[in-house]
Amino acid sequence: MKTYTLTRIILVAGLGLSSLSAATLADAAKIDVATVCDVKANGIDGVLKTAAEYNALARKLGVEFKRKGITTSQYITDTETAAKAKAREVTLKYKKKGKVKKHTFALNYAAWRACHFAVRAVQQVNEAEKTWRLAVPGDGFKF
Amino acid sequence: MKAVKITVAALLMVSLASAASFNTQAEKDRKALIAYMEKKFADPVKNKNQFFPYSTDEELSKRFKKGIKRDDFRLGSYAYDKGGKSQYDEVMEMPPFEDNIDAGKALYEKKFANGKTFKSCFPDPAIAGEYPKFDDKKSAVVTLSMAINDCLKTNGEKPWKMKKGKMADLEAYFASASTEAGKKVHIVIQSEAAAKAYEAGKKAYYSQRGYLKLSCATCHVQGTGKRVRNEYMSPLLGHTTHFPVYRLKWQGLGTLERRIEGCNKDEGENPHKPGSAWMSNVLYFMAYMSNEMPVDGPAIRK
Repeated sequence: MKTYTLTRIILVAGLGLSSLSAATLADAAKIDVATVCDVKANGIDGVLKTAAEYNALARKLGVEFKRKGITTSQYITDTETAAKAKAREVTLKYKKKGKVKKHTFALNYAAWRACHFAVRAVQQVNEAEKTWRLAVPGDGFKF
Repeated sequence: MKAVKITVAALLMVSLASAASFNTQAEKDRKALIAYMEKKFADPVKNKNQFFPYSTDEELSKRFKKGIKRDDFRLGSYAYDKGGKSQYDEVMEMPPFEDNIDAGKALYEKKFANGKTFKSCFPDPAIAGEYPKFDDKKSAVVTLSMAINDCLKTNGEKPWKMKKGKMADLEAYFASASTEAGKKVHIVIQSEAAAKAYEAGKKAYYSQRGYLKLSCATCHVQGTGKRVRNEYMSPLLGHTTHFPVYRLKWQGLGTLERRIEGCNKDEGENPHKPGSAWMSNVLYFMAYMSNEMPVDGPAIRK
């Protein structure tokens, strides 16, 4: 029994790790964010899985998004929790000037945003590789 | 013997040449930035179509100063914003950070538990223009805040938070001492690893990020002098000369790390931590851009 449980844990952890490490910069360049983050087409779980994969990479690259005090990670975890509880909405808490504030979103919208933020953060790294020099005076930026 | 002498001399020359070449790109970048800023503000009305397409002639002629030179940019947007400069001058008659400088001086002289003081690490307090430095042993950029914390740790003390409080007070004292001594920003790139750190900082500065897809340069290079609501955006050139600053928004003093964290938030990005490689490299690049400019801190900003 113990061996079976341990094997299950290793398998689940292995699958989790492989799915989290699956997203790469090259993958991000190929995908269409509107398609992969479409909740109707992929379901909330699918969209959140994509969000988790790409956000793990975004965090590793130091480019995670944060909007009005709420990080992509928080969008993902809180939306996952709300989805499991079969809630229709998700309430995200954040701090502003020392005070705790709340923001409530429709569940599908929060999942779409989590996914969109996670994927775009990584895609922008690819885009920046081609564009950053264009802004440097004396290099790509002519004046 | 002659052959040995020639070989040694040749090796020395090669070594000196390569040492000088580590900052070649950085010097090009710095000179191009100065040329860009000076051209942009030589005559804002005349340059309207090229640099200020959304401003009116009246705004540019009445509210903007022209003919601004490199060292003027240490004042930030007050270098060209006439209204902002007159408010700045009024506040600077009785600057709200004087108590912070005194507190910083007291911290500099206060004894650690081991009997030593900050003097053991920083014998001369006029060092604000010398940081960030690249530490070849650590193979990393060390900002002034990090150097202060290293000093605390070496002497068995707890490190401070890097954004405000004691850290900002001590840095205000260092900045004030540097300004009084007439010091200039003097950032060196003395190795290949240092040049790489500079390039990493430059790339980070010019890369678009966050959900708003802005880069630091969007506002502080191309956006310099453009208006966001009723404020004119400040230039990269001279950005590091006057920190820490007392910001009216903060109602207190804050370090460069605190300000950069605020910029990260404004870009819609999860901010980089003070002391992180990203933050240190960006500060290294920014400080290099202000090389040879007078240290002018602490100062006041909105």
